[in-house]
Amino acid sequence: MIRVALAKGRLASSCADLFIRCGIRADILKEETRKLVLETSDGAFKFFFVKPSDVPTYVEYGIADIGVVGKDTLLEAGADLYELLDLGFERCKLCVAGFAGVRPDPARPLRVATKYVHTARRLYASRGEDAEIIKLNGSIELAPLTGLSDVIFDIVQSGGTLRANGLSVLEEVFDISARLIANKVSLKTKAAQILPLLAKMRGELAAKDEV
Amino acid sequence: MDRFRLPAGVRDILPDECARFDAVQARLRERFVAAGFRFVRPAGLEYFDTFAGADSPVAPSAMFKMTDRDGNLIVLRPDMTLACARIAASKLGAESAKLCYFSDVYDFSAAGNSDREIAQAGVEVFGEAGAEADAAVIGFAVDCLEAAGLSAFIVDIGHVGFYKGILEESGLSPAAAEEVRACINAKDAVGTELALRKNGASQRAQRALLALPSLFGDAQVLSEAEKLTDSPAALASLLHLKQVYALLSKAGKEKRVSFDLGTVKSLAYYSGAVFTGLAEGVGAPVLSGGRYDGLCARFGKDLPAAGFAIGMQRVLRALERDKEVRQ
Repeated sequence: MIRVALAKGRLASSCADLFIRCGIRADILKEETRKLVLETSDGAFKFFFVKPSDVPTYVEYGIADIGVVGKDTLLEAGADLYELLDLGFERCKLCVAGFAGVRPDPARPLRVATKYVHTARRLYASRGEDAEIIKLNGSIELAPLTGLSDVIFDIVQSGGTLRANGLSVLEEVFDISARLIANKVSLKTKAAQILPLLAKMRGELAAKDEV
Repeated sequence: MDRFRLPAGVRDILPDECARFDAVQARLRERFVAAGFRFVRPAGLEYFDTFAGADSPVAPSAMFKMTDRDGNLIVLRPDMTLACARIAASKLGAESAKLCYFSDVYDFSAAGNSDREIAQAGVEVFGEAGAEADAAVIGFAVDCLEAAGLSAFIVDIGHVGFYKGILEESGLSPAAAEEVRACINAKDAVGTELALRKNGASQRAQRALLALPSLFGDAQVLSEAEKLTDSPAALASLLHLKQVYALLSKAGKEKRVSFDLGTVKSLAYYSGAVFTGLAEGVGAPVLSGGRYDGLCARFGKDLPAAGFAIGMQRVLRALERDKEVRQ
């Protein structure tokens, strides 16, 4: 049996489509349920529903053999695991955004509000820039509007929220999309189950690219 | 501060668990002694300088550091292999030695899947080189995991020479090579591609490095890998692994091993074959080892060497999972 960690919501339903095309009886993922553990009718797969940022944790500890999660979450978690496949959906960008044309006071460190504290710290450290990273849990766009920060570091999909609040993208830093990840041990000890699945997924994704 | 609390990352092992721990240790002790290994108990405190330096396999941030009374920086032993290499090179005066130990090492930086105090059982063979020596060490690793009581496990074998060989031909700078290595080690094909493109590696090296994350499985991958490179060093390491595999097959252990050329362990430490023991139900390796010729030279005597360490807590966890599955 392969155990799969998934984030509930849109990502899970995109995954369900891909899984079904790969011959997994993942139709159960599309049912409305409050259960946190679902098993396919043939007993070949078990799905765990967890918070997106917990997907790498479940996989790193080997509780789940594989998982699907956004690259942004992976960057932030820094977990020790294998990143096997770019699934291509849930595309967005991790960006620095703020008021265009406004130069922050150079006499003090740049203030950056973000959910992605570790990633932001690494980014500014790699550039040798001092930055004050301010951890927020939601509505990041509010920070520059209220003067809490100079800029924000966050994922941007359509840019609608930014525009509605008079902000714009200052810099695109990382391309983000959903990734298939695997536990380092499970990939080897369950290679007979995981590798054929990986090959099928790769085939499905390539076929989709050609269309 | 409560007097009955412990710092993060360490814990007491209570009688029930300790009994299980000792039972596994007793079985391993029997194996070690029967195979001709002799026990050592290396010192728990060492000088920071023993483990420091630009090419040190242990990161300074991973060590518990204290100042000695004379002002020297000392550390809680961070690594058993270095301690054994120091002993073999500087104290034994022989051209060969087979040492083993049951000891704890300390990792200041540990997080996630690991503890800061790690109980290890390990062996180190000094003075023997070549495919036969490697096959003997890897075969013994299989024996030890069996003796410990594990049923569902494999020993996954790689070779740092394959990666090094390709790297030499790629024209990448050391910093770029390290960035690429980290991506390959995470089997991050997307990241590997981006890093290669950014740093401008040669075309053929790019193709070989991009294939690395998927070069794992049975002995067949060794033949696949041969098509990817002309580097004499890389080809020599593949030939070496084939010889090791033939020897392991002759010993009836081929079902217990697999290969992964994309396991690119620290180059500052290992010089040849590397291997990892993987048990079902435990998300992290239960055993880790490899060949580290050149490490002894740091301590004044150039001896070829290879060895491995078993993580006792992870073995116990695997045994528990085995029992749960059977019930």
